[in-house]
Order: sequence, then C-alpha cells, then structure tokens
Amino acid sequence: MDGASPLERYLERCGGQFKDDLSTSLQLFTPMSPYDLDLPIQATEDVVFSSQFNQPKELPTDFSSVDLSFLPDIAQDNKEQNLSKDGNETQKELDGSIPRNEDSSGIMDESSLSYPDATRPSPEASGMCPLTPMTPMTPATSASESSGIVPQLQNIVSTVNLACKLDLKNIALHARNAEYNPKRFAAVIMRIREPRTTALIFSSGKMVCTGAKSEEQSRLAARKYARVVQKLGFPAKFLDFKIQNMVGSCDVRFPIWLEGLVLTHQQFSSYEPELFPGLIYRMVKPRIVLLIFVSGKVVLTGAKERSEIYEAFENIYPILKGFKKAS
Amino acid sequence: MAAPGRRCPGCGSAELLEDALYAQQQLVCAACGCVLAEGLLTTTYSEEEHRREVAYSQSTGQKEQLSRCLQRGIRRVQDLCKVLQLPTVFEETAVSYFQRAMQHPAFHLVSLEKKELLGGCCVFVTCRQHNWPLTMGTICSLLYAKQELFAGVFLSLQKELGLSVPALSLADLVKTHLNSFRLFQHSADIPAPFVEDKEKMVARTLQIVELAGETWLVTGRHPIPIVTAAAFLAWQSLQPGTRLACPLARFCRVAGVDLPPPAHLRLKELLEILLRMASQLAWLRVFKLDKKTVVKHIGDLLQHRIFLLKNAFCVEEEEEQHAVALGEGSPGSPRAVAQEKGCPVGIKHRQEGGTRPLLPPCLIQPRKRLRMAAPSAVDSAVSGDEPISDSEIEQYLRGPEEIRAFSKAKAW
Repeated sequence: MDGASPLERYLERCGGQFKDDLSTSLQLFTPMSPYDLDLPIQATEDVVFSSQFNQPKELPTDFSSVDLSFLPDIAQDNKEQNLSKDGNETQKELDGSIPRNEDSSGIMDESSLSYPDATRPSPEASGMCPLTPMTPMTPATSASESSGIVPQLQNIVSTVNLACKLDLKNIALHARNAEYNPKRFAAVIMRIREPRTTALIFSSGKMVCTGAKSEEQSRLAARKYARVVQKLGFPAKFLDFKIQNMVGSCDVRFPIWLEGLVLTHQQFSSYEPELFPGLIYRMVKPRIVLLIFVSGKVVLTGAKERSEIYEAFENIYPILKGFKKAS
Repeated sequence: MAAPGRRCPGCGSAELLEDALYAQQQLVCAACGCVLAEGLLTTTYSEEEHRREVAYSQSTGQKEQLSRCLQRGIRRVQDLCKVLQLPTVFEETAVSYFQRAMQHPAFHLVSLEKKELLGGCCVFVTCRQHNWPLTMGTICSLLYAKQELFAGVFLSLQKELGLSVPALSLADLVKTHLNSFRLFQHSADIPAPFVEDKEKMVARTLQIVELAGETWLVTGRHPIPIVTAAAFLAWQSLQPGTRLACPLARFCRVAGVDLPPPAHLRLKELLEILLRMASQLAWLRVFKLDKKTVVKHIGDLLQHRIFLLKNAFCVEEEEEQHAVALGEGSPGSPRAVAQEKGCPVGIKHRQEGGTRPLLPPCLIQPRKRLRMAAPSAVDSAVSGDEPISDSEIEQYLRGPEEIRAFSKAKAW
C-alpha cells in the first residue's frame, strides 16, 4: 500500500520480532483451532471482550513471544527473498482457508489485503486485536486468580440396581412413606427424612434417588431405600450405584449483561427472553450446561463429578466478569 | 391453479384462485368468494409437480422421493411465508431447514402436531437469521400452537441442527410492533386528540426502549410488554395535555393491540427510572414530580439521558455503604417512596435516598429471602457407608393392624 497503512504502523510498534517458523503458521489457518497461539494472546482475549464495549484499550506492546510467522514480510530486506516464495504458498493457504473460517475473518481480511503489498498487520480502528478473533471456540481459562466463589451442590441424582423383581403394590401397602399411582406413573415414590431424599422404585428392581446434597448423602440414602425394600421381604442387593447428574448453584454478585454474552459466545449460548429469562450456556469442556441470569445467579447442571462443576464455574467466571457492565 | 373445467358451485364462474388463509390452502372463487375446498386438493400430474396430493390412479411417481408428510409440511412452510409476506429467499431457506430437520433421526418419530410446529420453527429461525423481527407469539398464533410446545420444538431444532439464531433486534421489533397500532390515521372510533404522527412516535418509543435497555429493564424480560409500555409513554408525552388521563388499558384498546399483563409492571419501572432522572435535572427540581406529571417532561429527560443516568445512579460498591446506613435509618420503606416524598437537596453531593445503584429490578427488590450458604458441617460428616440402624428403617414400615385397616379402607 502507499504510505504507512495501519498494518505497517502496528508492526513498527511491535518492533518486528517475528519468528521464522512456518510450521506453526499453518496452524493459525485451520478453522477449528484459531487458538493455537501463545499465552499472551490468550490472556488478552478477556481484555478484548471488555474492550469491545469500552474505549479501545492499549494493546500490550511486548509481542516477543508471539508467533507472527504467517506474515511473509518483515523489517529486514535480506529475509524478504527467502520469504517471498513462502509468502506465495501461505497466501494460497490463506485464500483457501478464508471462506472456511468466518470467525476469524477479522484476521483474514487484514492479512489478505496486506499480502500483495508486503505490508504488516495492524489493529483495526475499533481497537480489536487482529490476532484474537471475536468469537472464541472454547472459553479461555484465566491465568489470574480464581473467583473465590464455590458453587453449592443443590441436587444429586443417582441410580442403583436392586437386582430383583419387585411387587409395587405390596411395597405401597406395607411402607408408610410410599405412594403408588399406576395410572399416573409406573413406579413407587418413596421418601425418607434423613437424608431428605425421594426415590423412584420400579418393578424391574431399578431405583432412582434424587434430592441429596452430596455424593455421600446420595449413597447413604440409596442404601436406606434398599434396606427398606429388604425389610419388606425382597432379596434386594445394591449393585451399580452411579451418580447420574449433579446440580450446583452460586451467585457472582454482580448483574450480567446477557445480550452481550450471547453476541460474543453465540456457539455456546442460547438466550430467548420470550421463552426463559436466563441464558443457557452449553460449555464444551467440561460438558456442563449453565443457566445464567441477569441477577448474577448461575445454575450449573449435567455434571457427573463434583470437580466438573467447579471447573465449569472457574471457566465461566472470567467471561462473566467481562460482561459486568459497570455503569 | 385448479383443474380446467372446474366451476364454482355458487355462481358458476370459472375464476378459481388458490389462496393461503392462515397458512392453509383454500380454493376460492374470485367472483363470489365461495370457498370450494380447504386443505390439499387431489388433482393431476401438473399439480403433483407443485407438491400437491394426487390420486393414486393418476399419480406418476415423479415425486415419490418425498413422503406425503414431508410434502404437506413443505407446503405449510411455504404458505406460512406467504401469509407473513416474507421474501422468496426466506422461503427457500426455511424449506431447506425443514427438509434437513425431517431427515434428522431426532424428528423422525415426533408426533404430527410437533412436525407442524417444526415447519413454523424453521420459518421463525430463518426470520431471525435475517434479522426480520418476528416474535414467537406471532408464529404460535398462526399455527394455533401452545407456546410451551413450540418452545420445546424450537430448542431441540436449534440443538439438533446446530443452527445459530441471533438475538432479536429490539429496534426492528419496535418498528414492526408499532405498525400494528391503529393510531396513525384518523378514523371513526379514535378520538381526534389520540391520533399521532408515526415517525415521531416511533422515534420516541425507540429512545425509551433504549433507555430501558440501559437501565436493566430489558435483559431477561419478554420484549413485547416493554415495547407496549414504551409506546404508551411516548404517545402520552407527545401531547400530555389531552392524553394524561388515558390509562394503559384504554390506550391498547383504542390502538387495537393486545395488552400483555407484564406491561403494567414495565410501565411502573420505566416511570421510576424517569423520576430518578428527573431529580437530577436542575429546572425540574422545583416541581414535585410524581408518576403522572413526569410524563410531561419525558422529552427533556430523553434528550439529556446520558448525563442524567450517570448522576442519578451511583456505582454499586459505594451504594452498599449507603444501603447499610439507609437500611438502619428507615427500615422497610421502599426507596422509591423516599424519592418521591423528599425534596432533592444540593446538586453536588448525592442524597442518601436519592441515588441507588443501577441494577436489574430483581436485585433491587429481591422477592425471595436470600438463603445463607447451607451449613456444610453436617453434610461433610456423612461418609455414605455408615451403618443403618434397624429402628430407623422400622419407622418407615407399617404395622400389621395398620395394614389391615389400610387394606380394608382401600379394598386392595
């Protein structure tokens, strides 16, 4: 381009410390992993999200560890001849991958424009870092301190096999805490007071135990139900106890701008105010569904392990902080 | 078109037209309006091309790859698009989504009722992707569907096909919703002072809706009641003299629009925000404004809203200390009452009752008692493998007399 394009000015600021490593350059253009970048870029993702809605922030100027090798041209002339050939190859890669990768279209457009003129990339006027696309594929884990908030477990659902055929009518007749309405549901609903839980007992001998607040409580409750069934005269065993679902909740203590969250995390979020006041966020790793509300309360469900809930919350907390929208 | 030679039984005319009324095909006489047939007609091969049903003896097997259910569904999607007057490209996209969905194993065995809703969902998703403001309420009323059922089908469609549905644009929704208000032309049943210029009303309603968005009144709420309440305030403020006395219910009746039940609450919240902003406007402080009179000054408030919002609502952390002090000072009195009763004091320093943090209404007035974190001491003591005492289990079993009494009573 003629004159100093924004691209050139940006690179001049960064000081032209580019590694000449083509093998990693191709990684950048694979559609599903635009995040194979070094840590400094990942850490600025959070910066990018909050900066979208405030003034454009100052970009960190130390990019020494950043791999910008996808750019064919650098400050030194002697390397240009080496790279011109590579530049053409990578340009073909670029052109091929542009239609595939709409998410990082910001980067692609800039780079493709710069190629014919051998210029360097630069941040766009909006202040968005060109190396970090707007929509992430996975939530970035912050390297900074943890949230300090621990989600409380509210409900555990577990199943166990009593391994014997049961006569539900008999159970309903002989047990005080059982209800059985075959027209409504084909199982006995039994409740115990300590731990306060409910069990669905099916005639096949399978049982579902819900309402416990911890894994140990769920196991204890399931054993108590099995004992009740044993005392009623059935040869009940206690096989394959498994926790199927865990539900936790917590409060981040600040209001969350859900409209912004659904804009930037569109692949994971579903926010339909006409249907439900909360935003449904389906996290990929760990595979947890979070219900996020404007009041800052978060419900996490779908976990098989307690650690998944904690990990999911640690993942979402930095994202939510970005949408705090302090006024 | 209908087969040649078919005549209207009412008037004998040969001018028969296909019309889609409420997304259902009808064969109508153009001369007298008599409806010849509803639903699909069984006709010849030329009809078969257009995905209409054909009698077996006359069918040519050309379109056999499409099942009847699929044909019917596609037809329904096309009729929906015609009724909503959508561009042709929407129709094609919606039909392609519908075909994809019907081939997906998750929707193979779904009931016919849900398959009909699936067609509506595809149209809805297409509109949202092109930023065409269409609400679920509209689609549900066209399909005569229950909203819960529609919601379930929509969510599963979104998940199974992996469609990204962008958020509803509130600005477009305002314009479309206001189109259905009958206040922009003089007519017999609308009093003359109620008629309003459309451009002015749309502009002001947009501003009020934006204000609601900035003050946390929109997030998590159904958009239509907010638009209705904002339109009402805009309409009132454009001619306060004659319109202040008209309540919201009457406004909606005159405008020919349904009044959604949450609109009253939204109106109250909007007025509270406006009152707080008014307390910061120098020339309004002399008036003791209440919910009625503040409407007259909405124009001024909207003009300076950025400045007023900044001053009327303080940052959260500082407010917490205020809240503690206020809570001890006047327990139980809602802040809005304090605001309306008290005279605003100086301009520079914030009065304790005058400002509050800019938070969503659910945080300002928590309806539920905030439960303290559950005591985990008891929970952590449980190991899951403790011995279970017999007496504990016995308490859950019935004694023999009890069983006898029970079986007599229940006749099991």
